Amino acid sequence: MNSIKVKIDGREYVCENGMTVLQVARANGIDIPALCFIDELKPYGACGICTVEAANTPKLLRACATTVFDGMEISTNSDRIRRSRKTALELLLSDHTGDCRGPCSLNCPAGTDCQGYVKLISEGKYKEATALVKERVPLPASIGRVCPHPCETACRRNFVEQPLSIAFLKAFAADRDLASGDKYMPDPAPSSGKSVGIIGGGPAGLTAAYFLAVKGHAVTVYDSMPKMGGMLRYGIPQYRLPKEVLDMEIDTIEKLGVTLRNNIRIGKDISFDEIKTKYDATLVAIGAWQSSSMGVPGEELDGVIGGIDFLRSIALGNPVSIGKNVAVCGGGNTAMDACRSAVRLGAENVYVIYRRTRDEMPAEKVEIDEAEEEGVQYRFLCNPDEITGENGRVNGIKLQKMRLGEPDAGGRRRPVPIEGEFEYTDIDTVIMAIGQRISPEGFDELEFNQRGNISADESTFRTSVEGVFAVGDATNRGASIAIEAIGEAQKASEVIDSYLNGGIIPYKKPYFVEKTVTEADFADRERIPRAKMPQRSPEERKHDFNEINLGLSEETAKAEAKRCLECGCHDYYDCKLIKYANQYDVSPAKYAGEKHNCDKETQLVSIERDQNKCILCNLCVRVCDEEAGKGIIGLVGRGFTTVIKPEFDNVPEVTAFCKDCLKCVASCPTGALKALK
Amino acid sequence: MKIVVGEGSCGIAAGAAKVYSALESALNGVNAELTFTGCNGMCFLEPIVDICDKGNLIKRLVRVTPGDAGKIAAFVNGDGDAVKDLEISDDDKAFLDKQTRIALRHCGVINPEKIEEYTATDGYKALRKVLTSMTPEEVIEVIKTSGLAGRGGAGFPTWFKWNAARQSPGEEKYLICNADEGDPGAFMDRAVIESDPHNLIEGMLIGAYAIGAKEAIVYVRAEYPLAISRLEKAISQAEEAGYLGDSILGSGFNCKMRIKAGAGAFVCGEETALIESLQGERGMPRLKPPFPAASGYWYKPSNINNVETFANVSWIILNGGEAFAAMGTENSKGTKVFALTGKVKKGGLVEIPMGKTLRDVIFDIGGGIKEDKEFKAVQMGGPSGGCIPASLLDTRIDYKELAATGAIMGSGGMVVMDSSTCMVSMARFFLDFTAKESCGKCVHCRIGTKRMLEMLDRIVKGKGKDGDIELLEELCFAVKDGALCGLGQTAPNPVLSTIRYFRDEYEAHINEKRCPAHSCGDLLSYSIDPAACRGCTLCSKKCPVGAISGTVKNPHTIDSEACVKCGSCFNVCKFGAVKVN
Repeated sequence: MNSIKVKIDGREYVCENGMTVLQVARANGIDIPALCFIDELKPYGACGICTVEAANTPKLLRACATTVFDGMEISTNSDRIRRSRKTALELLLSDHTGDCRGPCSLNCPAGTDCQGYVKLISEGKYKEATALVKERVPLPASIGRVCPHPCETACRRNFVEQPLSIAFLKAFAADRDLASGDKYMPDPAPSSGKSVGIIGGGPAGLTAAYFLAVKGHAVTVYDSMPKMGGMLRYGIPQYRLPKEVLDMEIDTIEKLGVTLRNNIRIGKDISFDEIKTKYDATLVAIGAWQSSSMGVPGEELDGVIGGIDFLRSIALGNPVSIGKNVAVCGGGNTAMDACRSAVRLGAENVYVIYRRTRDEMPAEKVEIDEAEEEGVQYRFLCNPDEITGENGRVNGIKLQKMRLGEPDAGGRRRPVPIEGEFEYTDIDTVIMAIGQRISPEGFDELEFNQRGNISADESTFRTSVEGVFAVGDATNRGASIAIEAIGEAQKASEVIDSYLNGGIIPYKKPYFVEKTVTEADFADRERIPRAKMPQRSPEERKHDFNEINLGLSEETAKAEAKRCLECGCHDYYDCKLIKYANQYDVSPAKYAGEKHNCDKETQLVSIERDQNKCILCNLCVRVCDEEAGKGIIGLVGRGFTTVIKPEFDNVPEVTAFCKDCLKCVASCPTGALKALK
Repeated sequence: MKIVVGEGSCGIAAGAAKVYSALESALNGVNAELTFTGCNGMCFLEPIVDICDKGNLIKRLVRVTPGDAGKIAAFVNGDGDAVKDLEISDDDKAFLDKQTRIALRHCGVINPEKIEEYTATDGYKALRKVLTSMTPEEVIEVIKTSGLAGRGGAGFPTWFKWNAARQSPGEEKYLICNADEGDPGAFMDRAVIESDPHNLIEGMLIGAYAIGAKEAIVYVRAEYPLAISRLEKAISQAEEAGYLGDSILGSGFNCKMRIKAGAGAFVCGEETALIESLQGERGMPRLKPPFPAASGYWYKPSNINNVETFANVSWIILNGGEAFAAMGTENSKGTKVFALTGKVKKGGLVEIPMGKTLRDVIFDIGGGIKEDKEFKAVQMGGPSGGCIPASLLDTRIDYKELAATGAIMGSGGMVVMDSSTCMVSMARFFLDFTAKESCGKCVHCRIGTKRMLEMLDRIVKGKGKDGDIELLEELCFAVKDGALCGLGQTAPNPVLSTIRYFRDEYEAHINEKRCPAHSCGDLLSYSIDPAACRGCTLCSKKCPVGAISGTVKNPHTIDSEACVKCGSCFNVCKFGAVKVN
């Protein structure tokens, strides 16, 4: 074989005569995407993704089928090529129906692979499940207990009966892993020589620390509180999240080599400037630790306390005296944590004052119900008008009666005062749980937005100061749920890593194929009730701060995991189409039009076929022709209606020839074929 | 005397077979021979009956009906004025007189089912010359000199393909004729096969000799039954006469020929898809290279030419390459056959030397636009071609010059359009065709044409939106660039050329929800101007859905809910009272 020289993207390569452009490129580490080509088969030329340009050739060439010649000059990445590939991908995706990922994963702010770890749990692989969760969430045992789980809200089991108990399954797996004596530890990359300072050891700061340490960077976390964990430790009561669990998970992070420095307050113990100069990159994740006030007369009285301040005092073990009658103002999860903690501290009457009704409460429904079981009394359609006091101390609260008016911009009906109607209640302590704000002291250098939060770029998490990034409750729109902060921190860790490597790659929401479903699509599913979390009785639990949930049994957890409808595509991690779609930054919506709508077929020996994901690369047909001889499957129809079908639509006779080799499944570049065994 | 009835498919469709039957009866006992010929290309005058005496055409009778048979018999019997009202006008005669016929030289002249009529007009003389006095290389040289280029549309030099196939190593080679004429409105090849099948056979044999093929195959679409049957007859006659088979004319050159009827897929006109189909596979294009000259039918060196290309070969051999090259322009030699259709007065087959202008064809030969309406555009090259507007009527028939307009020479389809043609609908029509005929193999064509069609559908329905033209153009260019074969690569042409010359029509549909040609039903509303309406009731009688009400001599009204926007009221109103918005 004689050698020839070709130029690819300006570099010269020596190769053998007779090779194709694709072979030469791949042999030299140049990636040319291709969907309908595999080495074992002759080029086919359908997908149009492997196109390249050659000097003095006006047409685009298919790299899979073009033989090189001496002196050939090839370009593999020009604008024209990228455009052509992108259009081909967009056209394919405009006729691709399915779900790359399940709605659970898509709705998780951290993008956790819920379907993946649930599957592993169903197989009893708890360490693997934990490892998979930890690709996105380093604190699964803690988060699994407290997360308001947007995943479950989106779960399609809602169309059947009730959502899968995804959060508790996550905690279950992580608990098993922690108790195994051989808990999952990631394998960190070799030291990069770069350092990161993180201010704030809450869920965001710890998450960023974990991922940056895994990437080989030297990470130090500063926190003003005595222990790490942030709001998970000081905002969430022990009965929901035992701090021993949190400690174990933080221990893993420390074991990765992260330096944890507590009791250090910026601006007091160390200046922001000092941290900023000491580290190659700085992440601000200080949270929002100041209770918002209502602006009601009497708020300055003794016995009026902020919700998170109240919870923090309990967590710190400080003596908290609240008296017999406690009013908690607000309808969110902090209000729930506060009222239930007040019950546990021995208050006789704990009132939750909320200006709308139960249906509008932003708190988790389960929390509202459990609080009521523990004796909390709801005072709906009431708003504090004045907190009354005697000798500087609270003695009561005057409530304005409300009614529901027209819906506001968010769709919730607006509470309207009923003129002249008031109620008065004797109260010893008022807990204001109506929101929280950032304490910006010590960070004057940073730019803040109108809400008083740190301004951080949505895709790079950069602040106004070079080398300083910010995430979590302290930024942009303010306080939210922990998993939001964790999701941001994980993304920010990628961006910071790229920054430390000399460039900055902004986070970009990946493209996914999603489909719309209705209840009718699930009409034939078996109804299986959701696993119930075993709980201590209200009578028992309301007297102490011990965890109220007893944890899922292994049997229950596995059975629950098997309820998963497996909405996400089985081929997501191997699918070439979605890989290229993201590489080429597709936006297929502009080509939206008719799509194929075929039922899944399962009668083909041991193969499940989903034509809605078929890209007609014909690989299955071609490998089958090679393997089993001609004619088991083939193309039918013309134009857009073309599909791959068993020859003459004769399934039983044709499948009799099938050797069950599953090579068709292996060759499929998308999730159109699935082996059933 | 000889009475010759024109019996191409088109003539038969116009009633020629009935005329023939009537003549059989009428001429019973009359001293005249009744026979038939193929198609002389004057579609607008069918059925046509020629009266010949001593080999000369003495009367050409047009639009003949079976009832006219008696007149013809009377003429034969000596009544010189019997057929006066049937005679072709001088103006119509010019349709043929202004043409230069090479490929069509025997069409409508000889009986296609009689080999002796072909041989009597120098038939098989070129084959004899080639086999007895020329080497294959010399044949290729003559074709090279002639400048003959592929008449199927792409215009690739014929000699080059022949030479490549000749040079390709291997004993087993094939010569294939592409008679899968699929462009809507194109019927040049059908006419040649139906009217002069031996000329095709002779051209193919010369080609087979030149490349060294021992087998020749004609791939004819099954929708051409008459062409197939006449070609079958011609092949057996040629075999019998020693023009086909072993040692043809004693030369030692062997060649057999057979017909393969195609199953009706447009893409099989693409040469590699045609080969797949010949092999019994699904008609889908192959990757090129390798080209068929290196690896074609059964992966052996093969040469594929279109019918019209072969139809020129015997003439070139007999008259010399130079004579052929003397006609035409610097880039395009010889003649080209066009199927002239649409809103033109005289539709039919036109063969003219390259270099004539579109105006020559449409106005001089075709007689201009029906009802003397305004010429708007001519569509050339069918689904692969484009539209040429009035401003470019003086473009010459030349591969390069036509391509520069955004249209193509194509295989010869020439559809003339007047002001009542909506150019967006026209583009949509062709795209609907290509989208359905896409073989489904490559992504750009399979899904790209579908998406383009959907966009055009939206536009003609008044649902187009800002940015649609740009998106359409972007997709057109991507499909041209990315599609695997000629079908997909050219499918966007009708869209691109109409956007190029008639962008304002697209904009009117999108921005104003208005069809300037008053053709897109979804964008029209009809009303009656009470001041102009005389209450003649004609419109209400013509309305197919009873949407017009009114009494005699009183203004009528249209129920817009019931109206199906067919436009018949508009067309019949003599007072201009029906208004279109």
